[in-house]
Amino acid sequence: MTTEQALAWIADIFEEPVEAIKPETPRSAINAWDSLGTLTLMARMDEDFGILLNADDLLQFKTAGDLLDMMKRHGQLV
Amino acid sequence: MAIEPFIDFQGRQVLVTGASSGIGQAIAVELGRRNAKLILLGRNREALAQASALIGQDHCHILSLDLADPDAILAAVRSVVGQRGRIYGMCHAAGLVETRPMSAIKLEGLRAVMEVNLTAGIELARVVCRRDIMTDEGGAVLFIASIYARVGMAGQISYSASKGAVTAAARAMAVELARRKIRVNSLSPGLVHTQMTDAAFGKLTPSQVKELEDAHPLGPGRPEDVARAAVFLLAPQNAWITGIDLVVDGGYTAK
Repeated sequence: MTTEQALAWIADIFEEPVEAIKPETPRSAINAWDSLGTLTLMARMDEDFGILLNADDLLQFKTAGDLLDMMKRHGQLV
Repeated sequence: MAIEPFIDFQGRQVLVTGASSGIGQAIAVELGRRNAKLILLGRNREALAQASALIGQDHCHILSLDLADPDAILAAVRSVVGQRGRIYGMCHAAGLVETRPMSAIKLEGLRAVMEVNLTAGIELARVVCRRDIMTDEGGAVLFIASIYARVGMAGQISYSASKGAVTAAARAMAVELARRKIRVNSLSPGLVHTQMTDAAFGKLTPSQVKELEDAHPLGPGRPEDVARAAVFLLAPQNAWITGIDLVVDGGYTAK
């Protein structure tokens, strides 16, 4: 997956327009990234990439770029 | 003092399934009377066109879709939103009914009933409530359930299961979506003579149907009786009603 595709994936999870999600976009700027949004994120990371997120992972996610880094560490981002 | 309408959708867009006949059509007509713009979703384009003519075609968009294929819902609704703007609410009035005693139930029939009555309803709500589909102010979702979600009726196991599930799902949705000012309710009608119920009771004798009608203290209902209650629950003016199942049954369950 390319970075653009990954950002589009993030936009879809949080139901935001693609152009609204950049690597530097903070969590606070994404309305749907609340506790329920986090559950959705966890489910989709598992279903789509086989990435199981734990509580420590979740605490570290501050921006969309942090999600991209997670995907990169799991070999899902080229 | 100026009198403001008690119920006025002020041009908000509402999607209605099952609008080609019966309760769904009556709800669509009543919504149109209350200044809603409509998306009529169903399989039978011709029947939807007739409903659209009753409402006034300027207010209506017809979306031809088979709810037995829930995977097609997101793309279809997105396309309509692209043309007509965001959606304020939805009413899932489409349904399948199957009158079969338990010994005659086939799993494919049970699955078909659950697919249309429950699964498609949940998927439709999921799509309509998306942040890029629903209006930013929030909105309203209504599931047409049945008194058979609350009381038993022989031969209605699949239907009862699906409608009970729908009322439970509506409550969970109401709690989850309140933070976004999205209200979710269900409405459980008693016996209303429509094509669907007449087909369901086609296997009963006239005296059995009469017995069922007589079990309603106010007699059987009309689609319009249900429609007015449905529009009440959907109306933006009723901003503090969520998570309820409103029984509209002429007193059947009061006995």
